[in-house]
Amino acid sequence: MSPAVRLDESAWELLHQALDLYRDDRHATARLHHHLSRFEQPLRIAVAGSWRSGKSTLVNAIMGEEVAPVEIEDGRQVFTWYEDGPNPEVIAYAPDGTARELAVTRSASGMRVELDGWRSDQIDDIVVKWPTRTLRHATLVDTPAVTSATDDDGTAIADRILRDADAVLYLTRDARGADLEFLRSLQEGSVARAAPTNVIMVLSRADEIGGGRVDALVTAKQLARRQNRDPGAASVCLGVVALGGLVAVAGRVLTEQDFVTLATLATTPRAELEKFLLSADRFVSTQFTTPITPDARRALLERIGLFGVRLTTTLIRTGCDTRAKLAAEMVRRSGLTELREAIGRYFTDRAEVLKARSALVALESILRRQPRPGSVDLLAWVEYLLASTHDFRELRLLAELQDSQLGFDPERTAEALRLAGGNGTALATRLGADDDVDAGELWRLGSEALARWQNQAEDPLASLDQRRAAAVVVRSCEGMLARLSGR
Amino acid sequence: MTAPIWLDLLDETTRVCAAHGRSDLIQWLQQKRAQLIDPRLRVLVIGEPKQGKSQLINALVNAPVCPVGDGTTTTIPTIVHHAEAPSATLVRNPIPAQRKGNASGELAAQPEQAERIPVAMDQLAGLTGKYPQRPGASSMHLEVGVPRGLLANGLIFIDTPGTDGQDPVRDASIFAALARADTVLVVSDATRELSVTELNLILSVTQSHTNVIVVLSKIDMSPDWRAVAERNRKHLAIAGASAPLIPVSSVLRLQAARTNDEAINAESGFPDLIARLVSDQSAKGDRLARTSVAVATRTVVEQLAAPLRAELTGASSSETSGPLSRLQAAQRAVDDLRRRTTKWQNTLNDEIGDLLSDIEYDLRDRTRTILRKVDEVFDTADPLSGWETFQDWLEENLTEAAEANFEWMVQRLDWITHQVASNLASYGADVLPGWSIRVPDDLAERVPLIEKPQIEKFTPTQKVFTALRSSYGGMLMFGMATTLAGMPLINPVSLGAGAIFGGKGIFDESKSLLKRRQAAAKNSAQRHVDDFFLRLSKDSRDTARQVHRMLRDHFAALTEELQAAIVESFKTAKQEADAEAAVREQRQRAIQQTMQKLAILFEEAQEVTAGRGGALRARLESRI
Repeated sequence: MSPAVRLDESAWELLHQALDLYRDDRHATARLHHHLSRFEQPLRIAVAGSWRSGKSTLVNAIMGEEVAPVEIEDGRQVFTWYEDGPNPEVIAYAPDGTARELAVTRSASGMRVELDGWRSDQIDDIVVKWPTRTLRHATLVDTPAVTSATDDDGTAIADRILRDADAVLYLTRDARGADLEFLRSLQEGSVARAAPTNVIMVLSRADEIGGGRVDALVTAKQLARRQNRDPGAASVCLGVVALGGLVAVAGRVLTEQDFVTLATLATTPRAELEKFLLSADRFVSTQFTTPITPDARRALLERIGLFGVRLTTTLIRTGCDTRAKLAAEMVRRSGLTELREAIGRYFTDRAEVLKARSALVALESILRRQPRPGSVDLLAWVEYLLASTHDFRELRLLAELQDSQLGFDPERTAEALRLAGGNGTALATRLGADDDVDAGELWRLGSEALARWQNQAEDPLASLDQRRAAAVVVRSCEGMLARLSGR
Repeated sequence: MTAPIWLDLLDETTRVCAAHGRSDLIQWLQQKRAQLIDPRLRVLVIGEPKQGKSQLINALVNAPVCPVGDGTTTTIPTIVHHAEAPSATLVRNPIPAQRKGNASGELAAQPEQAERIPVAMDQLAGLTGKYPQRPGASSMHLEVGVPRGLLANGLIFIDTPGTDGQDPVRDASIFAALARADTVLVVSDATRELSVTELNLILSVTQSHTNVIVVLSKIDMSPDWRAVAERNRKHLAIAGASAPLIPVSSVLRLQAARTNDEAINAESGFPDLIARLVSDQSAKGDRLARTSVAVATRTVVEQLAAPLRAELTGASSSETSGPLSRLQAAQRAVDDLRRRTTKWQNTLNDEIGDLLSDIEYDLRDRTRTILRKVDEVFDTADPLSGWETFQDWLEENLTEAAEANFEWMVQRLDWITHQVASNLASYGADVLPGWSIRVPDDLAERVPLIEKPQIEKFTPTQKVFTALRSSYGGMLMFGMATTLAGMPLINPVSLGAGAIFGGKGIFDESKSLLKRRQAAAKNSAQRHVDDFFLRLSKDSRDTARQVHRMLRDHFAALTEELQAAIVESFKTAKQEADAEAAVREQRQRAIQQTMQKLAILFEEAQEVTAGRGGALRARLESRI
């Protein structure tokens, strides 16, 4: 086998060799075929987290629709897949693979499926097809709550996530020890440990910080940045992002009606309003004299939370006087923009790498669990791929560049980010050129960048971390020049 | 005024512990005693991180005594008590040498050893991040005093770092603080229901503490906190935790304090909580003390009873390893020996019987061969000429046969000895007899000399007579015939014929004589060999019998010896087993008595809980 230039091609080739090696083993070949077919499918992003950590809210926020959670009658949680499809439909899969379409009713917080004679423990997976643009490149998987990394349930869910998802959005309220422990349990095998590049930690329910003060999200973002610098967190995830889930969803689906309600609330004098915004009880109490009925207020509270009301009324008062403006501001403040950027940068732009990664993880586990003559050679190839693949290192660099801990000046940080593929992995995007420039121009830009960063990598005044980062950028530039000369 | 009944019970429990030699429990009880005599109520606040524990204490005392903030996490346990003027002290305990229990207590057992660093009130918030709690590092805590009526009444609040891990109660610092707490507040926020880990925490705390209150914090943030509270109460009831749930809002309480708004204060839920704490505090000397002493006694009784119970149940299983097993082994050995004895006797008899017949057959076979040879020889040879040689040959052959026969017998006997001994081989290497059978040296002398048979010799006189007798007829016959021819009776022809006839007569006579001699020799040899066979077979038979007897005697003696030893060990084992059983029975009686005493103590603990305690008092008085 000759090492192919791209990781996914090499992984593809390795999987085929493994298929040949294990051709008499039905289970192993089924697993390998499964991973081969996943190369063709959209990236799978699992949304995991402990109980009530805001998983469904996050799914809604990303999709911009209020579809999650899909509730089963007795409250049992199952893996729910959100895929792009021409028409909305919900299909349930039993453990033995039989599928059937389910009738769906909208509930207050999402959707409720009618089991229609099925027992809930007969359902393993629910697939929701929903026509939305955001799902075109990635399938979202809403997972059952993770209780703890050590009990059986937690391990089973972790195993399933490990097996079925290419990337993970891990939701936590406060990134405590138990969360890190769970993420560590996901890193099984040397492939996963060598490249912990498929997890983004999300500080969900950020709007609850500090009792839901108006500046809660700002604080949450600071906290996320602090977490980013924590070596414990960095060893298990690419980055930490804060998200005010309720506000984000509300911003995505804000109706004119909602806006009118909020605007009416904002007309109440500030001192008066603040008194009733002290607690949820006060806000819905009948003493609050406002044109909005207590029931409407209660509904509003359930949708966007006390923090949401505080934030939106303040925003309306300070200038967001149309629905569009308010919605945009809500999305911006909620941290959803950062989250989607992170998902794009780390996950969807690198979909091929991540898919190859999960294929390699699966391959490694097969090779280690069922050794046979020839499997050692394949393992050596897996390790060779890991050691030589530049994509993982680029991903780590992107994560490090996010919070300026390297000490590069902003200009240099931006350039490194762009060259390493932080803004998009196309050649022209990386080199900061327009899409229609010719190869000669690209070559010139690439050579210049290479020379610049080679200097940086050898700069004796730079810190060790800086030189190391520069070396990664140099390797990226070399890779681009190699691709240019190849075509 | 007489001491309260719970104090009597506590002291009685301490005495029982002393009787059992459990100094660890005594220490614990003494600590408990000191804590119960102290009229102040120690309120421990625990819970998962970021549930608002510190804020709860701040709201309770209306002062920023515990650092709170976004992303700040309590790392140092903080003790809030009453003081005339606000003051704060960082107490760094030396690493405890032998006991960890004192580590994060309020006032360390050795206050002169603890390092006390005064801290300015406005620097409290900065401390939190500066001293992260590390395992193994010297433990420290913060003591904050503020002038508050609530605290002056005798309440002490203890703020703890959030429990973040699999088993929060094992967390050493929390555990130590728990041991010294009178009331425990478990804080959980209202944005979600109680998690499984929180329920486990509450359950384990309710086992050791009677006063546990679940505080549902942050109710200002959640519109549906009433539903959450209801579901939490249901969870608690299902889990079997008897803890009341009080919903509060620290934000509202602090706001009420700022604006002096009584309505908001009432909304915050704090009046309920404070009323509950105050009533607990006033009840400490009686109801709380009674229940917690009863709980302590129950714990102690269980701790003391557990090893005893284990011993009782373990007694039956230990029987297999004690003297009883030796007894059983001895019994088995006796049976085994009996079986082996029968076996070796059978082996010996069978083998000797076989040997006797085999030996006889062998000897007969050998003599037959010799006789056949003798016959062959005397078919042709004249005993007259080679008798001496024959005699030597026969003697030699017979000696050889006897020796071979004996040799074989000795080998067989040796083999039999080993065969029999192998039955007893497992008892030791020296089961073979000390002697061994050898081929007798005098075997050659036992072979009798063959006597020469009566042999008729053909003497010349006999020859002359025979010749004359034979020639006479011939001469007459031919003489008569020739007379017819006119010749005289005695003429050359008749003389010639007479000579021929005479010669033939001699020849015939000597031939028959030889035949007779040969037959006589054969007869003689036959008789001789028969004699030899008879004598030798008797000899070997005797030898075999003798050896048989000797072997029997030897092995019988050996078996008796072995049996004596085994029976002896059997006897000792039996004695030992009996003695052991007696000791065990005694021990079991003692344990049962102790258990009964403990049960009485347990009963008394129950009574004290119920507010009675007459039995205890009566018993104590009767002792005096």
